[in-house]
Amino acid sequence: MFLQVNNISVRYGKAEALRNVSMRVDKGEIVSLIGSNGAGKTTTLRSISGLVPYYGGEIVFQGRRLNGVAPHEIVGMGIAHVPEGRRVFSSMTVTENLELGAYLRNDRASVTRDLDRIYTSFPVLNNRARQKAGSLSGGEQQMLAIARALMASPTVLLLDEPSLGLSPKLVREVARIVLDINGQGVTIILIEQNARMALRLSHRAYILELGQIILEGNAKELINDEKVKKAYLGSTQGEKS
Amino acid sequence: MNRGNPKKVLIILGCVCLLLAFLPVFTDSRYFMHLVIMTCVNIMLGLSFSMLFSTGLITMGAAGFWGIGAYTSALLVLKAGLSFWIALPLAALMTALVAFVVGIVIVRAPGVAFIIQTMVVNMILVQVFGHFEFFGGWAGLLDIPAPNPIGPITFTSKTANYYLILVLLLVNILGFYALYTSRVGRAWSAIRLNARLAETLSVDIFRYRLAAFMISAAGAGLAGSFYAHYFQTLEPNMFNVFKSIYVQIYSILGGLNFYILGPVIGAAIITFVPELLRVGKEIEPIMTGTVLIFLVIFLPGGILSLPERIGFFRNGPMASSPEKVPVETEKKEGAP
Repeated sequence: MFLQVNNISVRYGKAEALRNVSMRVDKGEIVSLIGSNGAGKTTTLRSISGLVPYYGGEIVFQGRRLNGVAPHEIVGMGIAHVPEGRRVFSSMTVTENLELGAYLRNDRASVTRDLDRIYTSFPVLNNRARQKAGSLSGGEQQMLAIARALMASPTVLLLDEPSLGLSPKLVREVARIVLDINGQGVTIILIEQNARMALRLSHRAYILELGQIILEGNAKELINDEKVKKAYLGSTQGEKS
Repeated sequence: MNRGNPKKVLIILGCVCLLLAFLPVFTDSRYFMHLVIMTCVNIMLGLSFSMLFSTGLITMGAAGFWGIGAYTSALLVLKAGLSFWIALPLAALMTALVAFVVGIVIVRAPGVAFIIQTMVVNMILVQVFGHFEFFGGWAGLLDIPAPNPIGPITFTSKTANYYLILVLLLVNILGFYALYTSRVGRAWSAIRLNARLAETLSVDIFRYRLAAFMISAAGAGLAGSFYAHYFQTLEPNMFNVFKSIYVQIYSILGGLNFYILGPVIGAAIITFVPELLRVGKEIEPIMTGTVLIFLVIFLPGGILSLPERIGFFRNGPMASSPEKVPVETEKKEGAP
């Protein structure tokens, strides 16, 4: 089993954010988490990368229990997290931001090689290598956040709302990048408000509601599921999957 | 923020060093030399404060660690009969060691908790120095010998002591500068800018903050060791929280974002100006406090933020802070 979340619960004070959530992710998959605001999608990702304490169950990655492991060690094990809201270090340059992503790696030569590779697949960033990250547009900052996570050469990438607030053109660009990264063998767990896009991109999906998983399955099947259509895909029933 | 031209910075730095090296030639005032020496000591304390600030921590205990360095060095020479030159590094080591033990407990809680805890540590240290006869009690330690002579050079004159602290300060500045421009410095500023985000990028916040705590304490310890043998008298209340607040003011007045130049400018002003104005010792804190309040309201970035604020000196060397001159980046951008 590649990555498995077994029966975890999370509380923020008195509020229960996750209740008995279980999911599995196989190697090479794109798995999306779908649900409305406050359903617990972000909390699930934050649990996997060790940013919130959970109880009741366990998270196992390649045979290792992640319970209580520090966030930076989890990154070291190959799970990189792109937090929501395109967080970049705005007073640092693009290159400096990217280098921070490779923080754990000591091999300068391979870091430089990866930096070149990233600049090739993200030409926007290449043009702005010396600019402060804060001067980039929203879309560019999102690319930078994703590129920075890739600098850790992860085997699993956790993407939290990568298309939030982007123009339709940029949303398509992000979708292309997600498929591209996955094509290189990186497993992806994706959170998307845009459920239609998420289901089109991913192999499988989990649907969360009020901190619980209410539905899971093949993305192709979910996109045609009446309940899902009604609740998450809007009323455009006639659209083909 | 603008990046300074490194060549210009080096030239200016060279000129300043040259000027400082020949300073004793221009003056024979022992009083003036004393102020310069105290400025150097205060700069080292400010540097120590600013290093912790570069990781997003605010310390109210810089003077306490300064005291550890001073007492360790004085006791090693007085009671163990060691040479100053051995006591000096040992004092820095001891300070770092205490910082390690204290840091393990307090570094985990940033923000207000850290400020209060460092303050309490400082208070405890003063009590320890004063309470135990071993440390000389409240009367303090007297007749601490000057640094042992090296060959023909004796350290009884102001001039000799001036050169000694100048070398220590230079070592301190160069060492800290090297750290700020390295991976470590980058991680520190990432932690300061957004600790949560740094964590998801695999930076071990606790380890890096603890390291900063120890290194900054070692710097203060070094200054303490020199101070003990320069002033030759130690008294617990020299190292109280009041002094720690002054150390903060050095860094804030100069500019918090300038981890090296900030303390240099701030400490020089706070050490010299009240003396030049001949303000009484009782009035001086009132004056300094008032200045600080206005500073925080009208110029929170400190004096060094002035050029950028008024859009002057756009590419001047004054606009560069160590954080902003990452050497590695320059290389990288040459690559296609």
